[in-house]
Amino acid sequence: MNPLNKGLAGRVQAVGAYGFLVALLVIVLFPFYWMTITSLKSEDQMRSLLSMFWPSPVVLDNYRQLLTRTDFLAWFGNSATVAISSTLLATAIGTLGAYALARLRFLGRAFMASAVLITYLVPPSILFIPLYAQMRNLGLADSLAGLIAAYPSFTVPFVTWLMMGYFETIPEELEEAAMIDGATRFGAFRRVILPLAAPGVLAGALYAFTQAWNEFLYALVFITDVKLRTLPVGLSTFITGDVYGWGYLMAGAVLTTLPVIAAYVYLQKYMVEGLTAGSVKG
Amino acid sequence: MSTRAAQLPANAELNGQVRGPGVGLRRVLGRDYRLGYLFVVPGAVLVLALVAYPFCYAIYLSLTRKYVGVPPVFVGLENYVKLTFDGFFQRAVVNSFIFTFGSVAVKTGLGMAMALVLTSNIRFRGFFTGVLLIPWVAPTVVTALNFLWIFDYSLGVLNYLLVRVFHLLPRGVGWLSEPGTAMASVIAVNIWRGFPFFGISFLAGMKGIPAELYEAAAADGAGPLQRFRYVTLPGLKNIVIIVLLLSTIWTFNDFQIVYILTKGGPGGATQVLPVFTYEMAFGAQRLGEAVAVALYMLPALAFVIIVLARYMRRGQAK
Repeated sequence: MNPLNKGLAGRVQAVGAYGFLVALLVIVLFPFYWMTITSLKSEDQMRSLLSMFWPSPVVLDNYRQLLTRTDFLAWFGNSATVAISSTLLATAIGTLGAYALARLRFLGRAFMASAVLITYLVPPSILFIPLYAQMRNLGLADSLAGLIAAYPSFTVPFVTWLMMGYFETIPEELEEAAMIDGATRFGAFRRVILPLAAPGVLAGALYAFTQAWNEFLYALVFITDVKLRTLPVGLSTFITGDVYGWGYLMAGAVLTTLPVIAAYVYLQKYMVEGLTAGSVKG
Repeated sequence: MSTRAAQLPANAELNGQVRGPGVGLRRVLGRDYRLGYLFVVPGAVLVLALVAYPFCYAIYLSLTRKYVGVPPVFVGLENYVKLTFDGFFQRAVVNSFIFTFGSVAVKTGLGMAMALVLTSNIRFRGFFTGVLLIPWVAPTVVTALNFLWIFDYSLGVLNYLLVRVFHLLPRGVGWLSEPGTAMASVIAVNIWRGFPFFGISFLAGMKGIPAELYEAAAADGAGPLQRFRYVTLPGLKNIVIIVLLLSTIWTFNDFQIVYILTKGGPGGATQVLPVFTYEMAFGAQRLGEAVAVALYMLPALAFVIIVLARYMRRGQAK
């Protein structure tokens, strides 16, 4: 397309394109900017509506209050525990299952491959009540173990689906060559395919982690003990409708966003590729 | 039975050289049945326990009168019949459709524009793409809380901008507290969060369209609009269908944004089915009816899921 838009029309188009992108950029970034400066404002400043767009003075009181007077740190730990455990679980189970479904031949494979996709699409809003009843019966309601047990309901189908797409991009000849050289199927998988699939595994793990880190409904329903809340639910309980709460609420929002954004900035390439290669490939 | 037999299954079967107890099973269960089942079983068990079983249990619960801590009593379709004539439920259904189609329509347009601009010859493409995807990866709770604060009536920055900076409005608007603006506001937040997924997916689809098609169309005298209409859109058809249906399912079942921003208020103006389900279950403690709310749309949902799954399988098997 590029050689085609030259000249004045092309230039107008380019200005329009950059204008649109910059507008979109402002809309996308403003809430994060606003969250950050709010977290650094004093309560007086917020109430006065003075120097709206820059904290003056810059204060860390909100963070101090968040970390010392609330259960934020406990919630952060809970979220990390739940997200990391369920990510490891989902990545291991999903990668193995995806390899089998993408590559191996056995009875029921096609059915299971479809089932993975369908389970991935079943929304939590249908499952949360029966799952809650199930966790109560198992004595896992109101515990992090219950969440670690429940999160694979969406992370495992997702990772499996994503990895199926990824394994299909790796040429089958590679395994065949390894097996002709005397490797077993499992050996070929472990030594040849898995290393090649590492970027896909990483993408899958990252998405599983973000999904678990961000999960709200199950955490809201399963957990009643204040100390056992995860970050998303904990943060949302800070809403008081009063100016007093916004400072430390936004400080909490900043600290909740950081791990995800940090992972994203470092590993963006894998995440964008994973999203386009595995989850939606048409 | 050794691993040797499993090692060269294809050749062995082809030549008919290996005979043993494994061969018959292999013929029935497939070449790699042992490793295959070994790898699939953990996931299958999880999915059965965490999705299939609760799903069936949900259907059963929806046919009962069930309160927390009391055993369920079977009542047949009573819950569904009652819901059909319940004004609050009807309103939630209508709201859910408005919320879903309003968001999905705008996300499609915005995502398409984003993808088109990002495929054109611009600088810093990687940077723009990376930044524009941020709303999609940021925690939804943070998004919802940010907008709750931005939309705040007295101290929110949106009213500040509109009233004091740009003088577009004489006084602030209670974006989330007035029935007239609440729905549009929660839809806007859903769009903000969801449009990058559309953009990135469409972008990936556009990259898959061969450049020769555009060149051929241009050589035939097609302008930019015609090229979009006759080359881009047909090439994107599958991905557009997949993304639209995926987002329809997700948006229809989005709980978090509405729950945090309005809890369905003011006066039910933004009450959508997932929030209604939650309140029925954990506010009113009527579990049977709550599950019936969640399952009421199941036939439609199942239809969408099956169509979508076919498209996605086809895309992946390509």
